Amino acid sequence: MLSVLLHRKRKAAEKALAASKSGIGGAVDAIELTQKVYGVRLLVRGLLWLSIFMIARGLLEMNIASPPMRAAIALLPTPFFAWYLWTWMKGVSEMDELQRRIELEALALAFPLAVVLLMTLGLLDVAIGLSEEDFSIRHVWAMMPVLYYFSLWRAKRRYE
Amino acid sequence: MKNRLKVLRAERDWSQQDLAGHLGVSRQTINAIETEKYDPSLPLALKIGKLFGLCVEKIFTLDP
Repeated sequence: MLSVLLHRKRKAAEKALAASKSGIGGAVDAIELTQKVYGVRLLVRGLLWLSIFMIARGLLEMNIASPPMRAAIALLPTPFFAWYLWTWMKGVSEMDELQRRIELEALALAFPLAVVLLMTLGLLDVAIGLSEEDFSIRHVWAMMPVLYYFSLWRAKRRYE
Repeated sequence: MKNRLKVLRAERDWSQQDLAGHLGVSRQTINAIETEKYDPSLPLALKIGKLFGLCVEKIFTLDP
């Protein structure tokens, strides 16, 4: 009788432990899932903003005479950029402290690198006059995400 | 800063994932703390202390 009772108690304890472990694993899975969802959302909304920007750029190069229309086209990507930025900030607010630090370190490296690139190209432009066909100042914006992702990769590696 | 997190976790037979779940952080954070590549914030250190029923100084010590 006692052994049956003990066996039942042990089974119940094992069941509770398994349930508790699955709950703990669930919390970690939720954190990892949040990271993945945040990454995908950021990419999709970033690409959407970039697409709208390219469309607006293309439309502005067409012969649209009306200044209000041109201004409206120029402002078109702004809400999409705001959406992208909001996604980014929401993602950062859901990160844990190490992930926030990684993000900060990535930005802390990417920003000065972008400034150095901009200043170097600025000096080169003064020195030899860069044309639009060169890798000129006009293309610095395209280098910014490259510098950010490089810095993010470097910061992540530091804590692995 | 040195810490005894790995030992304390092993004593309880917890994986890094289990500990991360208890503390509400990612597994990467636990790994970085255990390998002493990252020092936790004061609230996280206190949370760790509370979880193991120890003072923070018994878990984390400054390098001599």
